[in-house]
Amino acid sequence: MRGHLRTILAAVCAVSLLPAVAAAQGAATISGRVLNEAGNPLPNASVFIPGGMGSLTKDDGRYSFTVPASRINGETVTITARLIGYKASVQNITLHAGEISQDFVLASNPVVLQGVVVTALGQEKEKSQLGTAQQQLSSAELNSTHDTNLINQLEGKVSGVTITSSGTQGGSTSFVIRGQNSIAGTNQPLFIVDGTAISSNDRGSTAGGGWDFGSVVSDLDPNNIATLTVLKGPNAAALYGARAANGVVVITTKKGANTDGKIQTRLTTSYTWDNMQNLPEYQNLYGQGSHGQFSYVDGDGGGVQDFNDQSYGPRFDGQPRPQFTGPDMPWVAHPDNVSSFFSTGHTLDVNLAASGGTENAGARLAVGVGNQNGVVPNNFFQKFTSALNGQLKLGNKFSANGSLQYIRNNALNRAGVGYNAGIMEQFIWFGRQVDMNALRANYDKMNQFGAHYNWNTSYHSNPFWLQYDNPERDTRDRLIGSVALDYKLTDWLTADVHAGQDYYSYNQEQDVAAQNVSWAGAGLGDLAYNGAFSIFNSHNTERNVGALVTANKQATSKLLLNANVGVNKRDAIYASNSQSTDGILVPGIYNVSNAAITPTLNQYNERRQINSAYGSASFTWDGWWTVEGTARNDWSSTLPKGANSYFYPSVNTSIVLTDAIPSLKSNFLSYAKVRGSIARVGADAGPYQLQSTYNGLANKFGSLPQYAISTSIANANLLPEITKSGEVGLELGFFGDRASLDASYYEKATSNQILSVTVSPASGFNALNANAGKISNKGFEAMLNVTPIRTASGFEWNTTFSYAHNKSDVISLAPGLTTIHLDGVGAGPGWGATVEARVGEPYGAIFGYTLRRDSATGLPLLSDGFPQKGPLAVLGSIQPDWTGGLSNEFKYRNLSLSFLVDFHEGGSILSISNMFGAYTGVFANTIRGREVDWNNPGIVAKGIDQATGQPNTTNVTTEDYNQSFFEIHEPWVYDDSWIKLREVRLGLDLPKSLLGGLHAQSASLSIYGRNLWLHTKVPNIDPEFQYTTSNYQGVEFAAIPNARTIGFNLQVTP
Amino acid sequence: MNIRKLGTIVAAVALSVGAVACNNDKITDLNVDPNNPTTAPAAPVFTYGVRVATARWLGSGYDKRGTEWVAQHLAEWQYPQEDQYARLQGVDTQGSFDGPYTAELENLGKVAESGLESGQVGIYAPALVMQTWAYDYLTDTFGDVPYSAALKGDSGVAGALSPAYDAQKDIYTGFFATLDKVRTDLANDTSSQDLGSADPIYGGDKAKWAMFANSLLARLAMRIVNVDPATAGAELTKAFSDPAGTIATVADEPTLNWPGDGVYDNGWADDFKTRDDHRMSQTFMKILIDRADPRMPIFAQPTQANPAVYAGMPNGLDNATAGNYGQTASKLGLIFYDVTRPSVLMTAAEMNFIKAEAAERSLGGLTPAQAKGFYNAGIEASMAQWGVGAGAAVAYENSPLVAYAGGVAGEKQIAIQKYIALYGDGGQAWFEWRRTCQPNTLVAGPAAIVDFVPRRYEYSTNEFSRNGASVNAAIAAMGGDTFDTRMYWDKNPTAAPTYVDANSCEGVRP
Repeated sequence: MRGHLRTILAAVCAVSLLPAVAAAQGAATISGRVLNEAGNPLPNASVFIPGGMGSLTKDDGRYSFTVPASRINGETVTITARLIGYKASVQNITLHAGEISQDFVLASNPVVLQGVVVTALGQEKEKSQLGTAQQQLSSAELNSTHDTNLINQLEGKVSGVTITSSGTQGGSTSFVIRGQNSIAGTNQPLFIVDGTAISSNDRGSTAGGGWDFGSVVSDLDPNNIATLTVLKGPNAAALYGARAANGVVVITTKKGANTDGKIQTRLTTSYTWDNMQNLPEYQNLYGQGSHGQFSYVDGDGGGVQDFNDQSYGPRFDGQPRPQFTGPDMPWVAHPDNVSSFFSTGHTLDVNLAASGGTENAGARLAVGVGNQNGVVPNNFFQKFTSALNGQLKLGNKFSANGSLQYIRNNALNRAGVGYNAGIMEQFIWFGRQVDMNALRANYDKMNQFGAHYNWNTSYHSNPFWLQYDNPERDTRDRLIGSVALDYKLTDWLTADVHAGQDYYSYNQEQDVAAQNVSWAGAGLGDLAYNGAFSIFNSHNTERNVGALVTANKQATSKLLLNANVGVNKRDAIYASNSQSTDGILVPGIYNVSNAAITPTLNQYNERRQINSAYGSASFTWDGWWTVEGTARNDWSSTLPKGANSYFYPSVNTSIVLTDAIPSLKSNFLSYAKVRGSIARVGADAGPYQLQSTYNGLANKFGSLPQYAISTSIANANLLPEITKSGEVGLELGFFGDRASLDASYYEKATSNQILSVTVSPASGFNALNANAGKISNKGFEAMLNVTPIRTASGFEWNTTFSYAHNKSDVISLAPGLTTIHLDGVGAGPGWGATVEARVGEPYGAIFGYTLRRDSATGLPLLSDGFPQKGPLAVLGSIQPDWTGGLSNEFKYRNLSLSFLVDFHEGGSILSISNMFGAYTGVFANTIRGREVDWNNPGIVAKGIDQATGQPNTTNVTTEDYNQSFFEIHEPWVYDDSWIKLREVRLGLDLPKSLLGGLHAQSASLSIYGRNLWLHTKVPNIDPEFQYTTSNYQGVEFAAIPNARTIGFNLQVTP
Repeated sequence: MNIRKLGTIVAAVALSVGAVACNNDKITDLNVDPNNPTTAPAAPVFTYGVRVATARWLGSGYDKRGTEWVAQHLAEWQYPQEDQYARLQGVDTQGSFDGPYTAELENLGKVAESGLESGQVGIYAPALVMQTWAYDYLTDTFGDVPYSAALKGDSGVAGALSPAYDAQKDIYTGFFATLDKVRTDLANDTSSQDLGSADPIYGGDKAKWAMFANSLLARLAMRIVNVDPATAGAELTKAFSDPAGTIATVADEPTLNWPGDGVYDNGWADDFKTRDDHRMSQTFMKILIDRADPRMPIFAQPTQANPAVYAGMPNGLDNATAGNYGQTASKLGLIFYDVTRPSVLMTAAEMNFIKAEAAERSLGGLTPAQAKGFYNAGIEASMAQWGVGAGAAVAYENSPLVAYAGGVAGEKQIAIQKYIALYGDGGQAWFEWRRTCQPNTLVAGPAAIVDFVPRRYEYSTNEFSRNGASVNAAIAAMGGDTFDTRMYWDKNPTAAPTYVDANSCEGVRP
């Protein structure tokens, strides 16, 4: 393996090995070492003098570069050493012929107030000169623990973002920065990898359920990421144009450093165990049935209540009773029947990287393999990642770099969520006597009636049979590549052309074996067909080509100029097709040629283009005052001809007060910076919204073609959306930067939203494409960083608290319109409740039926002892009051211990699981009223009888009482507050004494756990849940709780 | 760097910016949808409209989910929410309100529009007849609904996106005007295009469409007979005197044949593939058993518990009690499991019963003496439709409870026979029960959420958020949005006191 890597790297290097510029007579050679505070060498630090001359340090921290004689005139110049994650160090040297030596010690930069960071367009800048808010995470922070989804690694670590994972393994994770801007469009940020925009399309389930295929951004292997920068909102991201309103995540991948041609390898291995936790709390007093009755014949109504999938049957008495397992089986509970369905998941992840380079060329190649056996039976994920990065200097003027990533994902039998596809659904409509081991052992057998062996055959298929004989498979092949060619016009002016493409093909198949009871097409009583299947294929391309000229000039000794101007062309191409049939002929052949029922075929193609010109200029005076302006103009293919151009400017400034007024500095206050910014960004429409169309149906009626007019009214006069945003920020350092605070206040509003405005269907249409509506978000976010203890012996305690509060407000919608259903999803998944943007409410109001109440006492108004449905009302909002993360790290020499707690305070969630768990009598809280027998003592609900106006005295059974809450949503809306112990990690950098034995230069081992503990007010579910990263949030059904992960990670650099 | 070099750079940048800017307008040419056309011929749009309308009102979405339980043709033994009227509440009626407007009504309207523009009565007449046929189900299910201001969402007219509701009386006036125009235009038509094979009902036969138009006119006229006998009589006269005639025999019936290809199956049979929650209602079975109805073995199967017994089950039971009827109540007849069973949009039987009633009431130019003939013709047409031999039909006509008695008793018999013949068309059976109080054995089941048989659906909750002002105005005008809010035509039938039994006419649970 190692030999091959050498060959590849050598090949990359060979084309680039050009003779180094020989030291001319009278030239100066500047050299030295860059070390950290502990005295360890820092590779890859950049050391330079004004005029762009400099070099990167090698692995031993050494650098060396030559200044030609023509430039030497005895003057004193600054020499700067800087490295991401460290404070830059500036020294003065006097240029003279011969050897000049200058060493540096760089202070690490845990307080993230100063230092070099990656910002918009991948530029590296001094954080002190930024007028906008952004936060950067290092490779170490991203890789301290392991999660298959990169975004999950950001939970609790970035202030001002709300991250919600779906719970399912391999599922999607929503990432919203500073609140939702858009009603109909995406609220997810733009992802840029090495300057190339990549797709962050969601392949989550549809709102309401199904399989969650994950967010495609999770394809990126965190091991290959050098830095990840979150540009929080339009102010920081304005240069990215149309898609900047939701913020931008700028990722740079690791590159090969100058190692004098030596190859350096690194092996990272992690292994984790995943366990199901936070399952509902079940009752174990009553089994399947209704009104105390149950006797099994065929599970389909042949016996007494045996079609019934509730647990309001007889009390467990241990007596023999006909069950699906046999005619005289003891009537006992199986308390662990749900938890025993799940197994321990195992994940193995290996990443091997090799890198190296010379002064003129460098390359890095990394290959990663991940295998995950999920907690659901027969569930498997496989991920292969590879990344090749290379850079090349061609003489003094040209340099080129390129990166290529190939990623392949396979999944088998993802766990479904929601009403029909959800695994947990069967455990909410369930019998508490069901013996899960019997189902597991016999899943491939038939019962005497020709149905599959199961506890119920009316509504459910054997859950193991579903997992083993009805496979779901999906595959994604992805290629992300970019190349850039830089030409150094002068020492302060660089021109660059670049091109990048992200392409993936996606394939998803579902096979449905005969007699699957949820098979809509055929099934019971229709044995002519032997199964069904569907296949979906799509191709997604995002292509960007651009050019950029960058100027970076120290105009005077005080004034630093930084300017750029660029152009970009973006193409987005999408194509999909699908084939499905509701019935096949020969069992087991899931091929369209085996369709017994006319297959349904669909095809879709989409293309859009945006041309852009942009530029920015910044002026930094004396290092402490920076003013920057940016401007961008986009021309979009999706807006009306002649009106497809839109312009967005932004301006920001930052002042380092402690540098401007040095007397401000004290033992207490070590650093103070204020910043402010205003920005405006636009966004275009989706394709094909300007003209009404007729849509052909995928199936003919017999032989007759069918066409129907689109249910959306087109609009030929769409305007771009506009987001205006302003922010101010304060960055403070205390006690010599032992404590720091980085805080921002922002206000932003998105108006002219391009909406599919839901209209009365009596208009003949469901929706109108319109510019309507305004949403505002105001918020405050802060990051407090304290190092309470740092001792000479090497003990250090760092604690970080991030906090964000966002107030969202739907200010207006289209004229005459008071509400919009988010994502256009109606009553379906909420069983009559909807999630809406309602004027005057925060974005994401949960709107549903209340309990009817007595106006005098406020108590429920009961009829014959039962609650009554009251009027529809806003029952809550999906917006949390605040979110935050608290992380602590204790370091002592080679050892570190850290933990991260994630807070989500406030907001509401509608739990349909709880509504049905009560309806079916499976949850523990349904024992009330049947403690003695199925109808004894019964429930005398607290409330006012509507007939008499007196307190209720009517006694009703638990079953009837709990079922009377069906589609009354108020009781099932919960305070969505939770606290999670997200990560605990114990890390050890193996001491040098051990490394020799390993033949390694360095090695580190960590043991960690994720999602270890949950505290929540929501019963029976893990409230961190979403169906998809779309805007339909806040309604839960059949959530799969986030698994608890425990594992270890070993990094070895041989 | 010298000035010339800088100039070159500036020029290069300016050129690239310019290159981007030059074709900026042209890229909008990309924004033409390659997947879907902006116009479509009328024929495939008509096919779609007919198919989706029939599937809705005679299929599983509306009929088999709501009205068959309310009309008590069927009862539910597993999870009997439908049978307890839960699905008639606003939270569940979206499909029956939103769907019709955006699917069949809008698309049939587009077909009619294109026919009217080009002056092709052969195009617009079938579209308007189908649209009116569907609109009837809508208004008689909800009451006041948007009609004159509806379906104009793409017109740009103010208020078109939140259409006002029309009083049901005005909707009926609109129905009559539309059908009169269709009738007249078809009568005067000599050479217009027809829809040909794209018309899955009559294959483009304009004369048959005129016949359907007349019959539908008669159905709607009779619906309002208790509140406006004068208008009803006038419209019946037009329908009966039109030269195209009315549906007389099974061969005349507007029928949609389902391909049964697994994609487009008869809605009931499609539903029965995965659901087994239905059994025959005791209410309906008693009527059949009492009359030894020869259609019974076609409508129902013997019980699974006893192959010699046909039995229904009570409606609206609680879950636990209903759950015990799986083996002891009859399933539907085997014919209802046939995925190709045609849907009949209006039967010859119903048309004959309308004429019988008109005759008994001396309306539409008919006289009471003609009533018996139409009554027996109606029975025979229904028997023929379900494949019962003529001999059995005649024997049935002469059996004690069936033999036509004339007068008030005769009108009740007509209504009962219509109720039987409308099996499979729960909407019309339910509408007619409200108008005639027959059969008078319909009462709400013990676990029904109200203690009477509902007289309408609640408005869809979505409409309150999307068209709140209009729907609230309609509720104010109608006097409520509850199950017992009455239709315009469903007022106490002072004009026809014959229907008022000693029993209440509200199906109140005893």
